[in-house]
Formats: sequence, C-alpha cells, structure tokens
Amino acid sequence: MPHQLGVTIRAPVAAGQVAELRDWLAEIARKGLAEGPFDFTHLRGLHYAKLYLLDETTDLDGQQIPATLVFMSEVDAPLRRHLAELIDLAGEGIDQAFAYCTGYPGPGAHRRARIAWLRRHMIPASAFYVNTVGRGLEQIRLEAMLRDALEEYLDQRDWAGHAAIEIRRELRAYVAGCPGLAWARKPPPPPSLRFRAGEAVHMVAVPLVLALLLPVLLLVLPVWAVLLRLDERHDQPFTERPTLRHLEEVANYEDFVTQNPFAVVGFLKPSRLRQLTTRAVMFLTDYGVRHIFTHDSLAGIKTIHFARWVPIDGWRRMTFATNYDGAVEAYNDDFINIIWWGLNATFGSARDYPPTRWLFFGGAKLEEQFKATIRCHQVPVPAWYTAYPELSADNIENNAQIRAGLRGDMSPAQAERWLSLL
Amino acid sequence: MAIKLDLDDIQGLIARGYRTLPHARFTIFTTQDTADAHALLSWLLPRVTPAGRFSGDSALHVAYTAAGLRRLGLPESVIAGFQPQYRGGMTDPNRSRFLGDVGESDPHHWVWGGPQEPPLDGLILLYASSPEVLGARQAELAAHIDAAGIRQVTVLDTLEAGNNEPFGFHDGISQPIIGGLPKVSGTAPAGTPGGRVVPAGEFVLGYPNVYGQLTDRPLLPAADDPRHLLPRDPAGSGAADLGRNGCYLVMRQLEQDVGGFWRYAGEATTRPDGSEDPDARTALAAKMVGRWPSGAPLVETPDRDNPRLGGDNDFGYYHTDPLGLACPLGAHIRRVNPRDSLDPQPGTDASLAVNDGHRLLRRGRSYGPGAGALAAAGNNSHAERPAGADVAPESETGLHFICLVASLIRQFEFVQHTWLNNPTFHGLYDDTDPLVGSRDPRGATFTVPGRPVRRRYRDLPQFVRTRGGAYFFLPGISALRYLDQLPADTRSASFSSSATR
Repeated sequence: MPHQLGVTIRAPVAAGQVAELRDWLAEIARKGLAEGPFDFTHLRGLHYAKLYLLDETTDLDGQQIPATLVFMSEVDAPLRRHLAELIDLAGEGIDQAFAYCTGYPGPGAHRRARIAWLRRHMIPASAFYVNTVGRGLEQIRLEAMLRDALEEYLDQRDWAGHAAIEIRRELRAYVAGCPGLAWARKPPPPPSLRFRAGEAVHMVAVPLVLALLLPVLLLVLPVWAVLLRLDERHDQPFTERPTLRHLEEVANYEDFVTQNPFAVVGFLKPSRLRQLTTRAVMFLTDYGVRHIFTHDSLAGIKTIHFARWVPIDGWRRMTFATNYDGAVEAYNDDFINIIWWGLNATFGSARDYPPTRWLFFGGAKLEEQFKATIRCHQVPVPAWYTAYPELSADNIENNAQIRAGLRGDMSPAQAERWLSLL
Repeated sequence: MAIKLDLDDIQGLIARGYRTLPHARFTIFTTQDTADAHALLSWLLPRVTPAGRFSGDSALHVAYTAAGLRRLGLPESVIAGFQPQYRGGMTDPNRSRFLGDVGESDPHHWVWGGPQEPPLDGLILLYASSPEVLGARQAELAAHIDAAGIRQVTVLDTLEAGNNEPFGFHDGISQPIIGGLPKVSGTAPAGTPGGRVVPAGEFVLGYPNVYGQLTDRPLLPAADDPRHLLPRDPAGSGAADLGRNGCYLVMRQLEQDVGGFWRYAGEATTRPDGSEDPDARTALAAKMVGRWPSGAPLVETPDRDNPRLGGDNDFGYYHTDPLGLACPLGAHIRRVNPRDSLDPQPGTDASLAVNDGHRLLRRGRSYGPGAGALAAAGNNSHAERPAGADVAPESETGLHFICLVASLIRQFEFVQHTWLNNPTFHGLYDDTDPLVGSRDPRGATFTVPGRPVRRRYRDLPQFVRTRGGAYFFLPGISALRYLDQLPADTRSASFSSSATR
C-alpha cells in the first residue's frame, strides 16, 4: 500500500478577482467536488481535498499579504500521478479555480505547463499527520466492503448455540468462497521499500544528531526555557469572541457527514525567540507524527484522519488543517482534555493564542479563550471532498482489525473477541 | 473550596424539580412593545421563586429569549455577551442540522417557536401542588396577560408529574449533583460514579465550571448599573455581572410515538409462529433505553427487571460491560451519560471528569392524554403492556423537555449531536439513539451486542420528533430586577457590538 501525502497548493488571487472567486466558491460549495467540474471521485487514492480562500490581510509589521487561494489534498503516493490527474481528470475544475490566480496558464495551455505551475505553487508542510501511515484509499474502501459483507452474512442466520470459533470458521469459509473477497485473506502490503527505508533513516538519524548535540542542548535549554517564560509573561488573554456572522460562514460548511474539514490560520509572534521555538517544536512534531503517532491515534485523539501544519508567508503565519470526525466543539474538547500540551507547544507562539506557561501549560486549558481563538481564526472551507463520508477513523481501524482477524489460528477467547468487532 | 451559592438570587428551578408541585403549565409569550414587556416583568418579578428554602404550594419562574431581552431594552453590546447559539436561536438552519431537527422535526412544521412565527419573548413556568392551585395561579397570570394586551403564544399543559415518561420507563433518575446545593437526587454515596458532584458553574453562571473557570456570560460596565442592582464579576474586573446566578434554559416539545415504539418492539420480537412475546418485547425496549421500565439499569440486571434497583444510579460501564453485552453501546442512557466509557482513559476518574463537562440538569414534564394511562401501567405490569393499544393515534403524547445548562454548545448541543444523533458513537457505524435519535437518513440501525454474535435491528422508525423549541435565559433575580428598571432612554439606544472580529 502506498504512503500518504499532504499536498498544499497556494497562489495569490489576481487583482480584482476576489469577489468573483468568492462567488465561484459558493457555487462550488453547492455542487461539491465529487462530481463535475472536479470529478474527484475519479482521482486515484484521493482521500480528502479542500479549496478555500485566505483573505487579504496585513502582517504584524503592516505589510500587505494578498488574498490567496489554497488547495489541499490528502492522497496516496505517488505525487506525480496525483498532479497529473488533477489536470487530466479534474482539469476543468482546477482550471476554473486557478484562473482567478495570477499567472495560471489556463485551459489553453499544454497539460505539462499546467502541472508544472501547480508544482511550482506547492508549499511544504512542516508536519503531516496520517491516522494510520500506509493505509491507502483502496484498502479503506475494500475493508469497508468486507465488513458490510460479513455483517450481511451474519444477519442471514440465527447463530444462537454456535461457538465463536465455529462462526469464525464459517465466516472464513464464506470469504474464501467469494472471489471478490480473496484479497482479504492476505495482509495489506506495506508502503514501498524506498519510503520505509527513508523513514527508518530519519527515525534513527534525528535522535543520533540530537544525542551528539546533547552537551550544547543541556546548556542552551535552561536558558531558552527561562527566556521563553519571560517572553510568555507579555502574552495577553484572548478576549475577542467570534461574531455571529463569522460563525455562520464557518458553520455553513460543517456537520453534514461523519467528518468535517477544518482550517485555521494565524500570525506567529514576531519575536525571534518565539519564531525559533515554533520551528523547534515543529521539527519535533514532524518526528512525532512520522515515527511515534503512526497508527490510529494522535497522542490519544482517535478522531483525526489527517492533519498538517503549514507555515506560510515566510513563517509569518501558520495554517493548521485537518479532516476530523464529529463537531468542532467535541474536537476542541478533545484538544483541551487530551493533547492540550501538544496544542500549546505548536500554537503557543501564535498571536491570539491564550497565554501559555513554560510552553506546555495554560493555553488550551483556558477553555473559553481557546475555543474562541480557534473559532475566530477558522477559515470557511466552502469546497470539500471526502472519499468516505460515512466512516469514522474508529470505523476504519475496526474494519482493518476485522480483516486481520481472518488470518491465522485463534483460541476460543480470541475468536469471541474478534467477533465482537462485528 | 466549598462554593457558596447565592440561593436568594438564583431561580428555584435550578435547585429543585418541584416533585412536591406535580402540576405545571408553561406559557410562552410574545409582547407587542417595550411597555407591555416591562408591565409583565414588573408583575412577575415579586412572584418569582428563589432557590432558598421553599415550602409553598406554587412556584413561578421566568426566562427570556434574546429577542425578549432586546424588547426589555437590553443593548446589543450586552446581548453580545450571551452565547452565539442563544443569540442565533434554535431554528437557525445550521443549528437545525446540528440538532437533528430535520425531516419530520424540521422547525417549519413546529407547533410553536418555528421560524415562520414572530420571535418569542419568553417563557413563564408555573408549578403547583394541585390542579386547583395551578388553575388559580394561571388565571391570575392570564388575566394580567390579557389586561396588558400581550400576545400570548402558547400555553403548554403537562401531565401530573410521576416517575414514568410516556414510553413507560422510570425517568429522571440520573441527575447531576450540583456542588454547593443540598443533594437533590441519587442514592449513591459521594465518591462513587453515581455520587459525583459536578461544579455549580456547569449549571449556574458566575461560578467555577469543570475547568475551574467562569463560563462566558454578559457583563456590563459598572457605570451602567449605578444603583448596584447586579452582582459584580467574581473574576474581579469590576464589571456588573448580568449572567451571574442565571443559566440557559433549553425547551423542546418532543412528541413521542408511544404506540409506534411498542408496536415496533412487538413486531421485532414476534415468535417464529407469529405470536407475540411480551417478555422479549419489554427486553428489546429495555435494551434501547438501557434501563428496565422500573428504572433498574441493564448493567446491574441484564436479564430481567428488578424494581428494587429502580433508582440505582451508582454504576459505570467500562469495567462491568465494556462491550455492551448487558447495556448496548448505543442504548439511550449510555449515550446521554456515558459515565466512565469516554476516551482517552475509559474506566478512570479522568473519563468521569470528561463526562462531567457534558451534563444536563433536566426539568422536563410529560404531556398528552395517552401518557397517564401508560405511565400508570408501567408502574405495575410492564411485561403485559398492550403494545400501543391504549394510545389513540391522534392523541399527541410526549415530553416538554427542559434542561438547564451554563453552556448550550458544550452541554445540550454536544449531547444532542455528538452522543445522541451520532451514527458512529462509541465505534458504531449507523446507529443513532434508538429511542430519541433522528434517522436522517442514516442512523436507522440498532445494534445489540451479544454472544456469540450481535443482533442488528435495521430500518428502525423514528419514535420522537421535535414539535417546538427555543433557547431561553433564566436570569438571576437581581438580573430580572435590573432588566425591570432599564430606563426608556437606554431601551432604544443602540450600542455597537464589542465582540468584533
């Protein structure tokens, strides 16, 4: 199975085009991205995609940042295929979207010129979280189909009096007898050797380098901690509250299916110390999501399918974008109750974030301030695509376990436990 | 640190559900102009029952919508301090989708509170010890309303309060125990799952909530309260605190299809020979609820009802029933109050602490002609209940659901959306609350975990639909006094909102 990529394409909106783009996005919001002109259902390995507008703004030094159009996708590797399909299969929609941006070659141009333009406007994430690394779209879809088939099979009979182990045997026989389910008897193949080798090197190299730097870090860290704490003392509580109008704009695109899109954008505090802190934290976050939180949970949160942190405008701003299960209130409660420390570390240096203490404390624990700043900085995501609108991350993991349980021998107790997944 | 609640300023409905005043009537009103609104409030104010010691034969409470507060002359700058869900109202299309008020529950079909009607001002709740006392108090109120020329919207009658809700189940067992109030319900000792004390700030504004913080509420410059009618912000800002000692009041008229519910349970449990199986019917209904008709929880007595456990509230799920073999994962009571089954550390105090942030203080009363008969039957012989036979189809029965919360979004709306109407709650796939959930269009499955395999009930009908509703604010008594004296000049003044983006 392929590994997953978080593609971000961002381009400035051409002068005078913002209002038209906004109208066009509203129209696309009604149509959705699944069918024409985007036809995203036909793109291979595309889990999610979003298209949204970042309004014109001025940075903390008063410099203007023009309005930009942002496209994000969560997709199975390879990247080359995805970019080509964006033009070859979704070209009508992509052409319409980026026609509002400066310099887009347009539908008349050769496909290669348009692909190259998209590639040039790609920006890297500083960290990209995948719920379960290597679980591709095809696997998710097939395993959902397997679960449906097994559930239907169980529904057809009265199993009272049968032992779990016997029922499992029957279910295995049923799968073996269905040519369409033959794949389920084998484990899903891992991501490519090249990807795994690269990740393995990274996993070892980073701690190695940090170990070598340890004497320096031991000297620097206490000084840094004290300086940070002194800097944090200037942070102000966040007293603003989102307006009804802003809440409505965001909520118009929320809570239709199992998952929701989520995108926030905010300025990073300009002090060099806070900038460095954010970069260091993002470096560690990248390590965490690549090597520690790679299966089923982001430090205890099991409702996030994908998440990414993308610094923009030369690290003056940071965007955080996810696809998650349930409503934003529940999502924020999870943040506050489960990974407050992680939120504080990654966003504590963002302007308008509730004041943190020693990087990890305070911050998100200030419930109303935290929820308000999230809502205030949330960007409406009018155009959003999900390949499996009815599946929670929990469902997807359960389906994978159902498939895994088809293989090998089981004790009666194990068979009983496995049956409880159905 | 023990919290001292200002019981003389808090409306009594927060402290008690008035079991000694089993007769109730709710009046939802809209006034024509500011003068009418003030005339009504001035008349109501001395009659509002505080939360302190109580021994009367009737009680009265009043709550306002955002439109009602505007009518009384509260400026927008202060109204902006209320929660957005309250200001936007329950029938905002985004709220309707969020709350599952779609299809048959769409606010456009509501009998009151729908978007096609003029905005509601407020709600008067009257409780009495006997029908005679209720009649007399209501007559006084009605006479005053008529004399003042107030446009009365709806008077909602209720059934005499008993233990059972219209489906026939003992209801209202699990109420949060509020810190700072005398224990009002529950049989479990402190420190046990059923005896948990929830901070007062979850139900009364101006006191610390589960996070030890003060929930947002409307504050105004002290200069706007020169007579010092309002308490001051306990956080020490010096502002006058209009929210303190008040809370949000959610009201929803929930029609219950009692006949349809029991008919479904009967048909789904028919024996192979086509005959009815009353025990199986009751057992399936109990699986949907999570308690037997007596109130006995399924986790304590999975196979048969045990009326001795009827009031039992001292249990968790994770250690005794993690897979839902006794009480299904999707059962009603396991959704509205998951107790210790929540991530990230189910079965621990941390899990219960997460749960504490989503509790509702319920104050609803049943209504309708059919409920009385069924409720009475439920007290005696639930297993022999004639399946829906004694409810004429045209007699609407249900619950005037009322709950009191400090946060509409974190408490009421969260429970409604993330727990009740969530098809993927607790690892499920397509199950909403079997009893009260919407089926829009997903959620029509009820999964009953079992050995050796689960049983799925598909195409579950919808048994409850919303027929009316609104978000109100139940102010503290000083806040009512402040609203009552708002001078005419500030009534018309328009302030720009301070909550700008």
